[in-house]
Amino acid sequence: PSGKMRPLTEMRPLTEEETRVMFEKIAKYIGENLQLLVDRPDGAYCFRLHNDRVYYVSEKILKLAANISGDKLVSLGTCFGKFTKTHKFRLHITALDYLAPYAKYKVWIKPGAEQSFLYGNHVLKSGLGRITENTCQYQGVVVYSMADVPLGFGVAAKSTQDCRKVDPMAIVVFHQADIGEYVRHEETLT
Amino acid sequence: MKYDPSKYCHNLKKIAEDVTHATPVSSLTWELEGGDDPMSKKRRGDFCAVHSTPQKKIKGQKNQASAASPAVRARPHMVPGSLHPTQQEVAREAPCERITAQLPRVSASHSQKLNNVFVQTSGMGTTRHRNHRSDDDTDSEEEIRLLIAREESLGKTTWSSVGDSANEPFEVVGGDFRSGVPKLCSVTAAGMGNDCDYDSGDTDEIIAAKKKTDKVKNSAEFSQMEKPAHKKTSAKNRKNCELSGNCVKAQKRKTNPERAIGARVTAQCAGSASESAESAGDEEYDAMMRNCLRVQLTLADLEQLAGSNLQVPEEDPESGGDGQETTTKCDRTPGGLHRARPCICPEDIVAALLEGEENTCGKQKPKEDSIKPKFQAFKGVGSLYGKESIKKPLKESVASDNINEDQDSLKVGPGSMSMEKGSPPANGSSSKLTPLQRTKKANNPNPNQTQPQKRHSTFQSQDHKMVSPSSSEDRSRNPVSSLLPLKDKSLSLGAKTPKVGVDEDCHHRTGETGEGSGQSSSPMPGKALEGSSRRDTQGSNTNFPLSVNSWSDVRAKEKHAEDNQKRLAALEAKQKAKEVRKKLVHNALADLDGHPEDKPTHIIFGSDSETEEQSHPGEEPMKESVNRASGRLFDSSEDEESGSEDDSHRFTIKPQFEGRAGQKLLDLQSHFGTDDRFRMDSRFLESDSEEEQEEVNDEKTAEEEELAAEKLKALDVMQSVLHTTVGNSAHKGSLPAKKFRDVIHYDPTRHDHATYERKSDDKPKESKAKRRKKREEAEKLPEVSKEMYYSVAADLKEIFQTTKVTSETTDDTPSSENHDGEKVDIHHPATPTTGAEEPGGFTFSFFDSDAKEEKEDAYRAEPVKTGKVVWQGAPRFQDSSSEEEDVAEEETEGRKPSPREASLPEKETTRFFFFSKNDERLHVGSDLFWRGVGNNISRNSWEARTNSLRMDCRKKHKDAKRRVKPK
Repeated sequence: PSGKMRPLTEMRPLTEEETRVMFEKIAKYIGENLQLLVDRPDGAYCFRLHNDRVYYVSEKILKLAANISGDKLVSLGTCFGKFTKTHKFRLHITALDYLAPYAKYKVWIKPGAEQSFLYGNHVLKSGLGRITENTCQYQGVVVYSMADVPLGFGVAAKSTQDCRKVDPMAIVVFHQADIGEYVRHEETLT
Repeated sequence: MKYDPSKYCHNLKKIAEDVTHATPVSSLTWELEGGDDPMSKKRRGDFCAVHSTPQKKIKGQKNQASAASPAVRARPHMVPGSLHPTQQEVAREAPCERITAQLPRVSASHSQKLNNVFVQTSGMGTTRHRNHRSDDDTDSEEEIRLLIAREESLGKTTWSSVGDSANEPFEVVGGDFRSGVPKLCSVTAAGMGNDCDYDSGDTDEIIAAKKKTDKVKNSAEFSQMEKPAHKKTSAKNRKNCELSGNCVKAQKRKTNPERAIGARVTAQCAGSASESAESAGDEEYDAMMRNCLRVQLTLADLEQLAGSNLQVPEEDPESGGDGQETTTKCDRTPGGLHRARPCICPEDIVAALLEGEENTCGKQKPKEDSIKPKFQAFKGVGSLYGKESIKKPLKESVASDNINEDQDSLKVGPGSMSMEKGSPPANGSSSKLTPLQRTKKANNPNPNQTQPQKRHSTFQSQDHKMVSPSSSEDRSRNPVSSLLPLKDKSLSLGAKTPKVGVDEDCHHRTGETGEGSGQSSSPMPGKALEGSSRRDTQGSNTNFPLSVNSWSDVRAKEKHAEDNQKRLAALEAKQKAKEVRKKLVHNALADLDGHPEDKPTHIIFGSDSETEEQSHPGEEPMKESVNRASGRLFDSSEDEESGSEDDSHRFTIKPQFEGRAGQKLLDLQSHFGTDDRFRMDSRFLESDSEEEQEEVNDEKTAEEEELAAEKLKALDVMQSVLHTTVGNSAHKGSLPAKKFRDVIHYDPTRHDHATYERKSDDKPKESKAKRRKKREEAEKLPEVSKEMYYSVAADLKEIFQTTKVTSETTDDTPSSENHDGEKVDIHHPATPTTGAEEPGGFTFSFFDSDAKEEKEDAYRAEPVKTGKVVWQGAPRFQDSSSEEEDVAEEETEGRKPSPREASLPEKETTRFFFFSKNDERLHVGSDLFWRGVGNNISRNSWEARTNSLRMDCRKKHKDAKRRVKPK
């Protein structure tokens, strides 16, 4: 947690609009698998807004967290992202663990390009090792290493078909979030 | 914080510190082979100038002239945007418009707009790069749009210009693709579990690389790089062994064993720390530990030094002929202390070793002091015993102690021993003795001197003697083993040094000489000495053959000796224990015997303290006996103890009294008191009170419902987002539970359950009233309009009177029942004279009140003025349905009106139902069916009638014939 004073916000459930915005974003990456996050067979999970951040939290932990006052609570469950001041939802890398298993469209990047991606750069075609077919343009993708390690989120800059044609230096995946942020933005990730 | 090389986080921290001179990235993890051509460079992730292109920092620059972009500059043959005016313009302009529209500040001119965009986006990019999470409010979509715009402007040109797209193949896989690599995340949500492993693997490499470089730097002298850790540890061990003897000597000289022990204890921490430092094998850490050593060891060493300096003169006479050497050693130690610090690194140690034997021992002395306790664990029973003897208040010979310590150090391990062996001869001076040997020499005479002083000490020293030869045996064995081909050369430093053969040879000699000197200088009688001599000879024997067999033989013998030693020690211990027991018993008995006289027989209050004071000089058992003897007016200490135990039992928390239900139980228990018969235990514990549970349940259900509602809402939103009718399958899981919960049990006490009640009360009421009304309505005669009536013309009256009264009545019968008035109307014309009360002679109505009927119970048969009835002759053929008609016809029958008329006035009979008793009508009826046998009247009349009728018929027939004939 940063030393800045945060606005004293109590934890609360998301409004319908907030839920919609967030779901739209998440659905970009996992599509209808979103349902599996909302309606889980292994227990009740819900989304909670706290300090403009959306936390995906199990009912059990939610109850435990109720014992902590809102201003003292730094984080609970898993942070999925945050709402910007313009009320858009921005996905955080911490959500990767939950989204990667359900990803519909994936991109694998070559070992040489891994580092570049993990430094926050976009993926060029030269670094593209593999891509799910029928990936359309601007589709949210989960970026994997060739060893199938989830590395982050991206947005497909080109459709699969276009990827075949473009120049090796062309960007094929726009960087959205990567696990390098755990190091680079350690202080802001919750 | 302690540095633990086995923890990766520590290593990571270290790496972070060394970022300034970091190793090249390529050497860290993946090294991709390839030349200098751009493609292989790219493959390696080395993007030189172009590398900056994908960075978000410069994302705004595309909106400027594309020539400004470094990427463009990097491609000299890139086609400028003007070559594709239509496409590129569209691509560039449209997104810009969009973006500027979204940005708050919109400038007037387009160029300004572009600038604005550039400034903002670039700023945004940098913030993102620095710390984008905290205060970054820009939306990723906008960024993406910008990027897309740039990409399109760039991409279109590059497509046309660059034709090497086939150079970089990539797989296109299906949605359900799974690579051969064990998938971590696709199946379960486990997430990064394996990822961590993967990472750690990388870190390993990094660490290894780092270590390698370090080692190269540090140990330039060492030709063999394979086993640095081995070397270091072995060096350390050697140091320890050498030093143990020296240091212990210094401590012993103080003649204050407790102090020495304390010093050792303090040094122990340093020892373990230094040990870990050695194993880590990091130069950095070595430096750190050097400091540690300086701090920690100086205290102990100062003590030692002070002690040793004082003691040296005293010890000289004791140590006999060896005094000179010990003094010199002691003098050397201060110098050695200062040098101890740089000695930690292996190369330093080697250098120090080569420098000179005296220096070495001096140098390593403090180190040994710290490390020695670490090896106490390896000591045998005998050595333990020896240690015990040190602690004894009885003065022991310093020599025996020294030997003991020597043994300790020697027993550490053959590897370390061999190192020790190897090092001293490295000097090349075979005549010189190792510190150990010297101490031995010095110490061996000592037992002789001390022996006369105390029997006990001699016994111990004998023991030590027994051990010491074994240690020498060790020494003698080790060179043999070092010569054996099986021996690991890496363990011995001598093997690495150029003078391997010489060293070993020298070593042999030193060992022999050491033994020899030990033997010669200790003309001590006893089996111990014998054993030692025997063993020495054996050792010497084994030295010469240098064969595996002999070695094993020695080994076995040594084992045997050790066993013997152990046995002896055990015996000794047993004996001692026995003695102690005996002493105890003796003391106790003595106290018991003495007490009756000493102790006052009467009880003095507060005398406990007195007796205690008295018994103070005595020992524990005595005290106890005193206490026992002092009587039991108050609880003795023993009792108190037991009582306290009881109390502790009494005051233990009883689980059955915990909680709310427990409170109830406790109340119950307190009600019963402390009666054992009514002790409440957990069996009486009721299950948690229902209310409590209900409360909890209510809360729970409320929460659950809230969550469920939330989930449903979320699902709804999700459906709207996904534009699908999901949920059917998903809902199925949740709905049954929901449904089950929603089953409502009707509770009449709850007001809101009134909605589930059927409003059955009003209906019956209504229906009752309705029914009554209905009945009333039904009972009430239908309203008959006055307008509708049969108006009979006056002339008809005559007709009826004359001819067909009966036919008229028959036609009207259906209505006549209900419509009295009409009937009256109808009948009146026929009987204008009769009153309204007797319309057709008889009226019938189901609905008429009985009273009315009762009133006219008197049945009066009145003659109906039938006049001339047309159908008089055949009344029986009139088969009418109505009974009344029959009656009426009966009445109207004009055949026997005369007799009836006569009787009528007298006959006033009460009516029974419709008929009065002995109603004539009934008789008439019966007559109609059956006249009886003897009724001739009717037959006669019938015959007469038939005759007349026949006559009539004939006559009419004749008339007709007659009429036809004339025609």
